[in-house]
Amino acid sequence: MSTKAKAKELAPDRVVAFASEREMPPLAVSLGTSLANKTGSWRYLRPVYEEKEPPCNHACPAGNDIRGFIALILKGKLAEARELLCETNPFPAITGRVCHHPCELECNRQKLDEPLSIRALERLAGDEGYNGKGLRPPRRRHKERIAIVGSGPAGLSCAYFLARKGYQVAIFEAERKPGGMLRWGIPEYRLPKAVLERELALLRDLGIEFKAGLRVGQDLRLEELQAGYDTIFLAVGATAGVELELPGGEAAGVLHGLEFLKRVNFGERVELGERVAVIGGGNTAMDAARVALRLGAKPVVVYRRTRAEMPAIPEEVEAALEEGVEFTFLAAPIEVLTANGQLKGARFIKMELGPPDETGRRRPMPIKGSEFKLELDNLILAVGERPDLSFLPEGVKLREGRVNDPVLVEALRAPIFAGGDAATGAGTVVEAIASGRRGAEAIDRHLRGLPEPEPEREPVLVPFERINLDYFEPRPRAQGRALAVPERVTNFEEIELGLSLEQGQLEAERCFSCGGCNQCDNCITYCPDVAISRHDDQYEVDYDYCKGCGICAQECPRWVISLVEEEK
Amino acid sequence: MIEIKQSSPYPLRGVLPTDELMLSGHLACQGCGAALVMRYALKALGERTIAVIPACCWTIIAGAFPYSALRVPLFHTAFETAASAAAGIKAGLEVLGKGDITVLAWAGDGGTFDIGLQALSGAAERNDDIIYVCYDNEAYMNTGIQRSSATPWRAWTTTTPTRHPKDEPKKDMMAIMAAHRIPYAATASPAYPEDLVRKMQKAKAIRGTKFIHIISPCPPGWKSASELSVKLARLAVQTKIFPLYEVENGLKWRITLEPKGLPVEEYLKLQGRFRHLSPEEIRKIQETVDAEWARLVAKAKAEAS
Repeated sequence: MSTKAKAKELAPDRVVAFASEREMPPLAVSLGTSLANKTGSWRYLRPVYEEKEPPCNHACPAGNDIRGFIALILKGKLAEARELLCETNPFPAITGRVCHHPCELECNRQKLDEPLSIRALERLAGDEGYNGKGLRPPRRRHKERIAIVGSGPAGLSCAYFLARKGYQVAIFEAERKPGGMLRWGIPEYRLPKAVLERELALLRDLGIEFKAGLRVGQDLRLEELQAGYDTIFLAVGATAGVELELPGGEAAGVLHGLEFLKRVNFGERVELGERVAVIGGGNTAMDAARVALRLGAKPVVVYRRTRAEMPAIPEEVEAALEEGVEFTFLAAPIEVLTANGQLKGARFIKMELGPPDETGRRRPMPIKGSEFKLELDNLILAVGERPDLSFLPEGVKLREGRVNDPVLVEALRAPIFAGGDAATGAGTVVEAIASGRRGAEAIDRHLRGLPEPEPEREPVLVPFERINLDYFEPRPRAQGRALAVPERVTNFEEIELGLSLEQGQLEAERCFSCGGCNQCDNCITYCPDVAISRHDDQYEVDYDYCKGCGICAQECPRWVISLVEEEK
Repeated sequence: MIEIKQSSPYPLRGVLPTDELMLSGHLACQGCGAALVMRYALKALGERTIAVIPACCWTIIAGAFPYSALRVPLFHTAFETAASAAAGIKAGLEVLGKGDITVLAWAGDGGTFDIGLQALSGAAERNDDIIYVCYDNEAYMNTGIQRSSATPWRAWTTTTPTRHPKDEPKKDMMAIMAAHRIPYAATASPAYPEDLVRKMQKAKAIRGTKFIHIISPCPPGWKSASELSVKLARLAVQTKIFPLYEVENGLKWRITLEPKGLPVEEYLKLQGRFRHLSPEEIRKIQETVDAEWARLVAKAKAEAS
């Protein structure tokens, strides 16, 4: 047999053997390939593709797949990005505007330059990913009917997820229109009503019934609800202002923050004087001050701690300062000064920060003899909100999940669940949305007789140190267009105008995609052993040949590949 | 050629050629830079290529008789003869009317800087139509890490132990080749495969002697971790120790990648062969690198004006 004929029959990965010297070719010529050498036996570290949790996803109370939706924006797939977000959050266009974005606080990119502008990207997906068509109503799979009390973000979210599971859902809202805090707590310049209406219309497409103008406990007793529904979800929010024990606090001209915002949001002409003090350091205080500014007042925010301790979203504080809202830190009101029942001013006392209190913030302590007076036309109190539970039997307290308060269990036959601010006290839109979703899941489990899910294992988070900075250059964060200060302080036009698709894609390019493969091909490109192959979006290591050098893991920019010790 | 399924039926990173003409199962050490650069070089040149390999690591890497890790013909030749053997093969191909086949001489730094320099100079002087690649791992690695004239100043090798590290600077091979006025000479690094492939393809399209000098990290010889080979190849460029440039006709110098100018220490500290360096020596290396870089920039500027 000639050597040529023999070579043709050889499989490329077969060992070439000669029965005798006569079979050997007359000169050294290759008859087989190196595939006969299974160099995988050299390996003591095995590269394994193992996606890990990015810190943004982990920080999102709603559990949004942030890394995933940003990857879709990068590919220009805005509709798919919105769809992905809507798996965990019914309102990307709303949270894309008003969320306090804990994701951005954890973003690994901030250690290189600045965090990704995740909220603006979410808004881009929420706005531009909406195709103008409604949602298809899900198949009605279950006969159970669920009543939801309260149409704020928690109630709406619970309704959305229950409707998607195929339940019949009705939402009861005390005000004339649904939306709760989204409608009357957040000013138009942060969340335009048109956006809210669009998102609500999508919920109607899902077959959710809205019963507005029915206050449970007043127009309708809770006991009556259970007649028509199998389960009740209470998401009544925290709508009552926390009272300050202020002498003279009932004088005309003293307003409560939320009540003030609500009246303005409902189109009422609220007359304010020029000299307005807003008491508080949270988002309600910021909104009240900026609304007062737009109504022609010259507001001053008085807060008993310093700027560092303010619970408001930092951007909101920044915007208030830009617009000319004044701040007096380390001071608190002690008395309202009145004449004939009318507010004339207030007496304040200066504070200093003492040791940390139970919230971890330093406790403000009054400084003796430091009182001072301000002449005022209005005083707006925005020192916190609490739930109004007057429709429930005396003494009932809500916490998230199935309500097992014996008084309520005694009074009602239908099982009751609770969520949102009324149950958690969390006070942010995204946490209310998350609470609503957990409520929907708990109700579904209850109605279907399913067991509690196993607690999820703590995921492996990607620390900044695992990002390969050889692949990333500092680049500034995207700045969306926004109205300039003079253009915005005289009206309620939306300030932020969002990112263009082009800006959004440039911003999405900044994403490290921590722990998530985005098919950059580095692993396959840098493999000296040609032992990695790609099939569509999946890579595969050929362990017959991989020698375990670790270059693929080292050159992976985002820690998708782990090196695992081979078992001996 | 034995038919084998390609492992990347699409362009890597969107641009690199799909051909995989180097096979798995070769005998290079873990993390070998020389294996990686062969993979890229053959991607660039395609299957109508003949490789000529003198004594060097690749003699071993390609596999012993009767196996080969290359899907193109490979001719093993003596240490000092890579350029002359390649030139002879090319002449023979032309006689056979197969002048379109690229002949690739593929030698280490020992076979280029030291032992093969005379044959290489001869081929360059005759402007023989070959591509000569020197994959430079900066010592005689497969015989046991003996110093070569490509070994950097003060590096450890088994023949320049830390008590007597190398006292001579690395030979300026690119300047020697440019002085031959060959049509094309270029440097490349496995950390920048797109640049490497572009230069190989450019060389393929030019008639005459082409010289490509490729930095080639060697984990056992450099005493570096195997996973750091690409990072080291990148740092060599970004510290300006091994800048990426090309020279046309020995006169037109062009820098093809603007380095960040990271401190040389970033590169040195990852390698055991430099662990004994004193701060003073590191400072001197930095000064030399800066001066060499300034000279390179001046050459590139002189041509541009």
